[in-house]
Amino acid sequence: MTRKPVLLGGAALMTALLPAAMASAQTADVIHWWTSGGESRAIGVFADAFEDAGGTWVDSAMVGGQAARASAMTRIAGGEPPTAMQWNIGVAVQQLAEEGLLRPLNDLADAGNWVDNLPPLIVENATHDGNFYAVPVNIHADNWMWYSAAIFDEVGVEPPETWDDFFAVADQIQAAGYTPLALGGQPWQESLLFRTIIIAAGGRDYYRQVFVDHDVEAAGGPLMVEAFDLFGRLRDYVDEGSPGRLWNEATMMVANNEAAIQIMGDWAKGEFNAAGLVAGEDYGCHMAPGTRDAYVLVVDVFTFPVLDDEDATAAQTMLAEIMMDPATQVEFNRHKGALPARLDADASAIDACAAIGEQIVSDPDAQLPNMALAFSNDVEGQVTDLVTEYWNDPSMSAEEAAERFSDIVANADS
Amino acid sequence: MVGTLGRNLTSKAVLTPTIIAMTVCFYGCMAWTIYVSFTRSGMLPNYELVGLAQYDRLWGDNRWHVSFANMFIFGVLFITGALALGTLLAVLIDTKVRMEGAFRTIFLYPLSMSFIVTGLAWRWFLDPTDGLQSFVRSLGWETFEFDWLVNRDMAIYTIVIAAIWQGSGLIMAIMLAGLRSIDRDVWKATKMDGIPTWRAYLSVILPQLQPLVITCVVLLAITVVKSFDLVVALTNGGPGFSSDLPAKFVVDAAFERANIGQASAAAVMMLMAVVAALAPYFYLVRRRS
Repeated sequence: MTRKPVLLGGAALMTALLPAAMASAQTADVIHWWTSGGESRAIGVFADAFEDAGGTWVDSAMVGGQAARASAMTRIAGGEPPTAMQWNIGVAVQQLAEEGLLRPLNDLADAGNWVDNLPPLIVENATHDGNFYAVPVNIHADNWMWYSAAIFDEVGVEPPETWDDFFAVADQIQAAGYTPLALGGQPWQESLLFRTIIIAAGGRDYYRQVFVDHDVEAAGGPLMVEAFDLFGRLRDYVDEGSPGRLWNEATMMVANNEAAIQIMGDWAKGEFNAAGLVAGEDYGCHMAPGTRDAYVLVVDVFTFPVLDDEDATAAQTMLAEIMMDPATQVEFNRHKGALPARLDADASAIDACAAIGEQIVSDPDAQLPNMALAFSNDVEGQVTDLVTEYWNDPSMSAEEAAERFSDIVANADS
Repeated sequence: MVGTLGRNLTSKAVLTPTIIAMTVCFYGCMAWTIYVSFTRSGMLPNYELVGLAQYDRLWGDNRWHVSFANMFIFGVLFITGALALGTLLAVLIDTKVRMEGAFRTIFLYPLSMSFIVTGLAWRWFLDPTDGLQSFVRSLGWETFEFDWLVNRDMAIYTIVIAAIWQGSGLIMAIMLAGLRSIDRDVWKATKMDGIPTWRAYLSVILPQLQPLVITCVVLLAITVVKSFDLVVALTNGGPGFSSDLPAKFVVDAAFERANIGQASAAAVMMLMAVVAALAPYFYLVRRRS
């Protein structure tokens, strides 16, 4: 009983000391949309590194990129910005920077020599008016093909190199009773599939004409009609449950040997890994048909809103440094399935797929911009609407779709 | 005149904050949205006027046409469906069934679930590869087909079904309360005149419940206009955008597509649709008083 006052006294002392201790602890409230199995392990690498460095990690995960970005915008508008928010590098980040909502990171970038250690296409898009506004953590590509090794072995086929090969292979797979193509029938996934077909139909130079130069003629030309035609033929190879399916559910169809092929960015690899499968043995990775010489970059970045509070700003600095650390980036991407954004980080240590990816992306000509790098969110949305309308409405002709595509491109820069 | 200001000073003082909040939050925001719909606002508001450009683009957008039409399909079917089913349930319970309390609870239960839960549950149930269709097929009826959820012509009706399932319990509760408040003498009179029960309900009892019906319609109409979560959970607007609703269109435009101008124009169109739908009602009320 006599000990009680001592305990109370100790508690009082602790309370008195607490504010001082709190002041030195950095709190990072991070908005991101990495919620699937592989993704949440990946973000956990950053969270652990931040906590090991003495900070406190507040995880503001949202389901879906749209919800996460909406939440970030609402919090900024409401005067309670997060410490850091995930974004896909692209026009939207430039717009945020232009509105003055993001903290310039030049001091960090100069100190860490980011310009020399990142691919030029990323540097160009992570900066605005010469200021760094985003910390790139990975390089994904849209145009990957994932396939079930078991189904391919059973049917006795090789991964298709072209879409003609694909149709031959898919017919055999279908005859064997499997779903040839696992597609999550959500507009963005349909749009991703369609973009890889544009590269296959027209080649990477044609892709650049449309997505970089915004060439209206090319966007409505015969190659686009061909791409829409090819895309429409795929409707026969998708199962009935496709509409509304999440991308990782489609990946699991391949992982469970229910479906043979999925065309999806290499974040899918994180799902295979989380399921305990091994690249090159249980599942195969290959560039999507007809896109062996292309790497459609999708780059996840973290941006840091302008904050008044000094402690919070210090937490941002600490977090940005952790995210740009080469070893942390390799560890992060081991779970995420991507390549590290830093060129000086060793990607070949990750796995066989990453080695293929690194070889292709090292050719600057192979680096192609994805949707977010090519168009504003608004135009991207219009393209997605068109693609999903075409996919779900077999009565629309490829010519009409191509014409509407060129209309969207024509109005994109007005 | 000086006297009127001082009268009921307490109630005026109590009401003032509410009135100010209403004016600023409600009508203020409405006016702001209308103004912004005439500007070129993108990710953030921009107050330079561009005339009707946003409306021009909105009405040239297939997706908006589909969403707007869906609001009417959903609205008409959901309101009449929930009203009819809810009233029918109320009448059945009113005829003194055994275990009335149990039935009332069962029918009212869906209301306790959020639209997100309702949507997800129905999504699983209607999914052709996991749900009802595959279950019936596994029982041996191989040709059974119920693929509304993934059929672009029928997807909007799955939203109607789920919404009726959720909403008719409330209507039942309201209508049942009304039926129980009918004077027993009215029933005695119809019995004495030898009117069949169904006829008594249809021609004598239900017409007396008109104010309650109007309440129900208003409650359901609000659900129609604001329905967003149910679509997101059930179909997410798909396949394609075939089951999109205006509220989802607005949220997508404002947040995902960083186009506040389009979102505002769409929101104003929603407001106009609501005003047009409610105008006859206000006209009636005004004339009666």
